Amino acid sequence: MSDRTDKIREVARKWLADGTVEAVVGWEQGTYREKCSPVLVRKPEDADRLLFNDRCTNNLMTYLKRDPVRGMEKVGVVAKGCDIKSLIGLLQESQVEREKVMVLAVTCEGVKKDDGTVPIKCQACDVNTPTFYDEIVGEKVASNPDPEARFKDLEKLDAMTPAERNSFWREELDKCIRCYACRQACPLCICSRCIAEKNQPQWVETSPHPRGNFSWNLVRAYHLAGRCVECEACETACPVNIPLMLLNRAMARTVKGAFDYEAGKDPEVQPPLRTFNLDDDNSFIL
Amino acid sequence: MSKIGVFVCHCGENISRTVDCARVAKASGQIRGVAVAKDYKYMCSDPGQALIKNAIKEHKLDGVVVSACSPHMHEKTFRKAVTEAGLNQFLCEMANIREHCSWVHEKEEPTTRKAIELVRLMVEKVKRNMALEPIRVDVTKRALVIGGGVAGIQAALDIADGGHEVILVEKDPSVGGHMAQLSETFPTLDCSQCILTPKMVDVGSHPNIKLYTYSEVEKIEGFVGNFKVTIKKKARSVDIDKCTGCGECQLKCPSKKIPSEFDRGLKNRTAIYIPFPQAVPARPVIDREHCIYFTKGKCKACQKVCPTEAVDFEQTDEYVEEEVGGIVVATGFDLYTTDKQGPYPDYKGYGEYGYGEDPDIIDGLQFERLASASGPTGGAIQRPSDGKEPKSVVFLQCIGSRHPSKGIEFCSKICCMYTAKHTMLYKHKVHHGTAYVFYMDIRAPGKGYDEFVRRAIEEDGAVYLRGRVSRIYRSGDHLIVKGADTLSGAAVEIEADMVVLATAVMPQPGIEGLFQKLGISYDQYKFASEAHPKLRPVECATAGIFLAGACQGPKDIPESVAQASAAASKALILFSRDQMLREPVVAKVNENTCIACWYCVEICPFTAISKKDIRDRQGNLIKRVAEVNPSLCTGCGTCAATCFSNSIDLDGFTDEQIYSEINSLMAVGQDLFPEPEKAEGDSPDEKAA
Amino acid sequence: MSESPQSETQKDGAGLPEAATSWEPRIVAFICNWCTYTGADLAGTSRMKYPPYVRVIKIPCTGRFDPLFMIKAFERGADGVLVSGCHPGDCHYTAGNYNARRKYTVFKALLETLGMDMDRVWFSWISASEGGKWVDTIRKFTEVIQEKGPFREYREMIDVG
Repeated sequence: MSDRTDKIREVARKWLADGTVEAVVGWEQGTYREKCSPVLVRKPEDADRLLFNDRCTNNLMTYLKRDPVRGMEKVGVVAKGCDIKSLIGLLQESQVEREKVMVLAVTCEGVKKDDGTVPIKCQACDVNTPTFYDEIVGEKVASNPDPEARFKDLEKLDAMTPAERNSFWREELDKCIRCYACRQACPLCICSRCIAEKNQPQWVETSPHPRGNFSWNLVRAYHLAGRCVECEACETACPVNIPLMLLNRAMARTVKGAFDYEAGKDPEVQPPLRTFNLDDDNSFIL
Repeated sequence: MSKIGVFVCHCGENISRTVDCARVAKASGQIRGVAVAKDYKYMCSDPGQALIKNAIKEHKLDGVVVSACSPHMHEKTFRKAVTEAGLNQFLCEMANIREHCSWVHEKEEPTTRKAIELVRLMVEKVKRNMALEPIRVDVTKRALVIGGGVAGIQAALDIADGGHEVILVEKDPSVGGHMAQLSETFPTLDCSQCILTPKMVDVGSHPNIKLYTYSEVEKIEGFVGNFKVTIKKKARSVDIDKCTGCGECQLKCPSKKIPSEFDRGLKNRTAIYIPFPQAVPARPVIDREHCIYFTKGKCKACQKVCPTEAVDFEQTDEYVEEEVGGIVVATGFDLYTTDKQGPYPDYKGYGEYGYGEDPDIIDGLQFERLASASGPTGGAIQRPSDGKEPKSVVFLQCIGSRHPSKGIEFCSKICCMYTAKHTMLYKHKVHHGTAYVFYMDIRAPGKGYDEFVRRAIEEDGAVYLRGRVSRIYRSGDHLIVKGADTLSGAAVEIEADMVVLATAVMPQPGIEGLFQKLGISYDQYKFASEAHPKLRPVECATAGIFLAGACQGPKDIPESVAQASAAASKALILFSRDQMLREPVVAKVNENTCIACWYCVEICPFTAISKKDIRDRQGNLIKRVAEVNPSLCTGCGTCAATCFSNSIDLDGFTDEQIYSEINSLMAVGQDLFPEPEKAEGDSPDEKAA
Repeated sequence: MSESPQSETQKDGAGLPEAATSWEPRIVAFICNWCTYTGADLAGTSRMKYPPYVRVIKIPCTGRFDPLFMIKAFERGADGVLVSGCHPGDCHYTAGNYNARRKYTVFKALLETLGMDMDRVWFSWISASEGGKWVDTIRKFTEVIQEKGPFREYREMIDVG
């Protein structure tokens, strides 16, 4: 780990010193327990703030669509394999220009959640050693994804009757306080003006009552269908612990089954809701 | 506040029989924003329209809802009426209380309530309608005609005579199509080439016609009035400007054993060849697949003998671009072939009939060549195997056609007539011969057609047998045809010298590739589809593209020519104005919130959306946004439904309009969700609002 | 001319007849202008009969259908929502219905995940010549909704709000 930290600092320092990039987005030591925080390093001498360890959970790609990073001519970003999937999504949707980003990939054995457990994305990880980058640090880490891990949690939903599922979700969604942290943390919630904030007409009601919460969470999941790379940033950010990844993974499973598509794999492939096949499933239509 | 007028039509009793129209009008009058509501017996009549017009003026209405029949019936009528009263036509909508209400429901309370709700829905929509102006698009007054058979020739000549330039593209080295191959034509038995070749010459020399033979349409971009066409001129290997058509090259060419397409394999041609003597242009082409120079690297006999140095082995395919406003598709047909190697892999052949295996079993077009004075036998009926005059010929109809088990269900329409003609041509040349015809039904509707078939039977003695043939096999010098005569119930066995199969009329193999480039639809057999089978039989659903001839379905010559003239007149109508008006139901982009994800660009079926740079005064790029070309947009709204941030909307069906329609439905009478078990007065209205 | 959709819709009863005190199904049908709308017209011209509880909202093409429409309809008290357009291959705009089909697939799965009663969400292709299919579909849909009664699960959410 410390080895990777050193190398990250070294590369970042070089990029900043020779003007390759204006700034580097990375992780630094947080102020609370072992947590790491995102940091924007602009000067070579600040490169030593950067680090990498198993608490570097944040998906830094979300900063690429935000000011001031968005306006920069060229920016470096430290990224785990899973984070790079988001970048691929952003490239597919022309939100980031490849030439403007220097990807400093870091190999990763998996991170830990705040409570010390291993996130599902790490159990199912197939990109411990990233393949899409400008520079990579760290020894190669073999991927050994647990094939069951990704959709395991969906089984408990599948086992419920629709009515049970409905009450499960109504209880969960009742908690929503409409803080939109899920949206802000998501690297692929790219709209400058979210549908939830449009009021002519107001498709999504803004008050945190059950019907507004229901439509908001429905729309959020729908708009990420086929785009979500399962980075878990939304669920991590949610202050009231709504199991948002259950919805996202249900969508991912549908998209995989119906369109044989997985998000974040190939920047050249069309996202599933931007195209169609003549022989798409028609069986459910009368 | 809005001032909407609601006009409820009784449609005689068509609506008022089940809907209480007076009550609908009364209830409509109380919807907020409605300034006037009236009911009348016939709203589409002159007095009815006058009532609307007067109300517009009197109440200074800014929106009208006509509650009557389907908008597909009378929307145009009422939009015209409101325009005459000074209101923008797009501020008029119709609530369909006839087809969708009075005609399909009983006379009961919920029916009238439904009518009121439908009016209310439209009132809420009209409140948010915008005055729209039709989009004006410049028209390029030039036509592209694809296909140089009789249909394409006729369409090209008519448009050219109408004073507009025509680009005529033909894939073969000469125009003429299948009609040039025919001997005589039914029902008059006049010589096909005699009536066609003058038209071919006209096409070749008309000042308004630009002829591209041995060429194909490579790409089509644009839209009605403004198509951009890329034409591939295949390398002819002969400079047709230098060539005089003297034919010396053909005589010298050593590669002489290539089956002639024009003579349908009954005669051979050379590798450099003019397809037939009357070809237009009468210039040769080198068939590179068979040319000795192109296959083996040396020969050049034709080049050596050419007096004008026109032979050019270095010639390559050339691409030219043409701009046109309208397109006539006249790609014609081909005959279904029954041998195992036919060009239609989806259809089963007739192995039991031996076509392609026995030389004396031929198809209808081959018989045409045999009977033709310009054909391989000079018009003498001789069987292909040994040139002997056949003493008996069996004609089989419906080969492929009307035969679902072989994959084709339709009737090829022309075979009954041409088979009757064949029997006559045969009898006129072989007086002692016998012509047998196996048929399913004789279909001869048409001017002079049935009389013609009767003549074949009664005067020329053709023997018509109703039934199908089960097997044909060779026995010595003869072909034995075994079949059934279903009228007498007897099994029939005929000793024939030659068998002629009237095979199905099919679209040109692979023609769907062109149809896809054109963006026009086609049926299961790959015949091009018309916009409406009865009322728009010449137009494609894609604006500016018209159909002529057998590419749309089996047709005989008079029909093809008639349709070609109809297509030409459609093109001429298009060219009669400098600008075209299009419905302004088009998408528009909210540039403030567009984030340039290009979902709309990718998903638009009409490539109507492009990427636009927004720059400051210094020319620095500020942002990129989607931009809709209103001339290309057809208003499907797929982009609007796809955009995550709803930054693209569709005029005429905006989010606001649809939102308001949905809302209106559920707010009726504030009786939001009364439930059976709940007592009156305990409804959750207040909460819901 | 353009007014806020919120401004006027919910305010009054518009002098409508005395509201039915017993529950009636509320079915909203989003149908395309070219095929299903014309098919429904044909049902009318053929004088076929079906129950009067369906309210048609015309859209140019199923491509225009945004799943938000369905959510809003349920929010406003619909007991069932039908979306219907041209059969595959018949789209007036060539591909609107194919794009719509992908949206349906995804959105339907989402609703299922959330435990929505999927008997209340119907999709169909009804061509301009299928007046009979339109009638059958509406009849069956109405029967199903009548049997199930009001969409209580959704209405509870609405009432709370």
